[in-house]
Amino acid sequence: VTLAELAVTVVLLGVLGLSAGRFGLSAIPAYLLAGLLLGPNEPEQLAIVRPSDVTEFVAELGLVFLLFFLGLEFSLGRLRGAGRHVGLGGAVDLAVNAGLGLVVGLAAFGPTLAGLVLAACIYVSSSAIAVKGLIDFRRLGDDETDLVLAILVFEDLAVALMLGFAATGGGGVSDSLVVVATALGFVTAGLAVSKWLARPLDRLLDRLPLEFFLLAVFGFLVGMAAIAEELGLSEAIGALLAGIVLSETSVREQIEERFFAFRDIFAALFFFVFGLSIDLSAFGQVGWIIGFAVVVTVVGKLTAGWAAGWLGGFTKRQGLNVGAALVAHGEFTVILATLASGNTLIAAADRSDLTAFAGLYVLITATIGVILMKESKQLGRLLFARSPEARLAES
Amino acid sequence: MPVDLHETRLPGVGVKYTFPLALGGGRIAVILHNDGQRDVYYYRRAGDAEPIAVIELHDDEARQLGAVLGGAYERPKIVEDLELALGELSIEWVPVPDDSPAIGLSLAAAALRARTGVTVIAILREPEPVSGAQPGDVLQQGDTLVAVGKAGQFGPFRKLLAEGPFET
Repeated sequence: VTLAELAVTVVLLGVLGLSAGRFGLSAIPAYLLAGLLLGPNEPEQLAIVRPSDVTEFVAELGLVFLLFFLGLEFSLGRLRGAGRHVGLGGAVDLAVNAGLGLVVGLAAFGPTLAGLVLAACIYVSSSAIAVKGLIDFRRLGDDETDLVLAILVFEDLAVALMLGFAATGGGGVSDSLVVVATALGFVTAGLAVSKWLARPLDRLLDRLPLEFFLLAVFGFLVGMAAIAEELGLSEAIGALLAGIVLSETSVREQIEERFFAFRDIFAALFFFVFGLSIDLSAFGQVGWIIGFAVVVTVVGKLTAGWAAGWLGGFTKRQGLNVGAALVAHGEFTVILATLASGNTLIAAADRSDLTAFAGLYVLITATIGVILMKESKQLGRLLFARSPEARLAES
Repeated sequence: MPVDLHETRLPGVGVKYTFPLALGGGRIAVILHNDGQRDVYYYRRAGDAEPIAVIELHDDEARQLGAVLGGAYERPKIVEDLELALGELSIEWVPVPDDSPAIGLSLAAAALRARTGVTVIAILREPEPVSGAQPGDVLQQGDTLVAVGKAGQFGPFRKLLAEGPFET
């Protein structure tokens, strides 16, 4: 990768990201599209960036930063604070959409790890796109927004458990047990360290001059990712744990503030590099999976929103708003497919199918999802008559 | 009257406070973003799906608005009305210092108006305030004088009250 290629890449990312924003769309599909355009696959006239060790490394940093931030924002206290909706709404969403995802996964890949990863890709919605939509479309004040965010928290938690498995699972029963045991040991050790070392770590970071503060945090993050990788786990687990450890310190907000810029740049490049590997000619093989998955996603998420809304005491219209906010898929689907593409225990053909699937599936659901979310209130007024109680309250 | 304030956490966004409004039957939701931004959503009826107004505020603007709404800048209505009526005159409440040489003198004998231009119109004291102060009223320890004058006259007035000298 030369500087000129990088310049073209970054300019295209900026232009596409901005124009997506103009139309109220998320930047994630725009970055994927940029990768698709400049990558070695169709359209070939524009193929100026080839996947290489450099692009791989940049993408890895992006993955590490994305999961680091997920860890930072993820603490048990916050989970408890999110309230009563998390358990019930999250469980309904898991049952409906992971179940439907498994059906698609089995149909596409049979009872393999690839099928399981596909199910997870279909299950987990995009927190980034949903939250942006809730802000842009003025939904934060609505009651059902609490339910949307609670379900997203539940999904993040479920996917965190899935990450390590996507990257390293898939061997025989004993191999899998070793992976699970190592992961549990690593996470337990990490949490114990954070419990005992939180205060000294806190004091140390608090006292460091800015330059060394950045280096220390970055070193800790990359170090944890490297240790996890050496242990045969995924670097994603290490980065996530680094975030969780630092989320309990008093410098958490400072870290978020200082590293936002890094995360945004490297995450954009991460999605771009993923886009490089999307091969439109694979659409012939995975087209039916994508079509099936998109239909299942829209139906499944709307059903889950309606059912969770009904259980939580919301109206049908509010349930529709909840479901519509969950249709867009994004960062987690791409992350899962990336991790799976590095797992040699999955058949090579399945891996490339997963990559092609995830890229196009995210492009489609992110677009449909944002449109559905924008129009869901209008749609609700058309579909569901106002309930008699509501009409009474109005008069 | 206690307001039915409802707090919910919005994971990844911030905190939300909602409460119904007695006047008009609407509902207000205030969102505190983690980055310091505040939004105020106003729903015309409590059950409305769409807010009819959304106000987005930076941290400093939100604090300013909060102080205004909370009454930090408020002056009692009566003071405002009086100031309006008096034009360039103002009314001040002036406590008589405990060691004032004027204690024991009548208003006429102290000649406060003649020497400073400030008129004493009432005297606040326990147990019974004097509402229309007369020249014969005698100053006592613990009194607070309600006085009318121009802005620049109150300095000499306070000085005279505290230090004298008075002819006896």
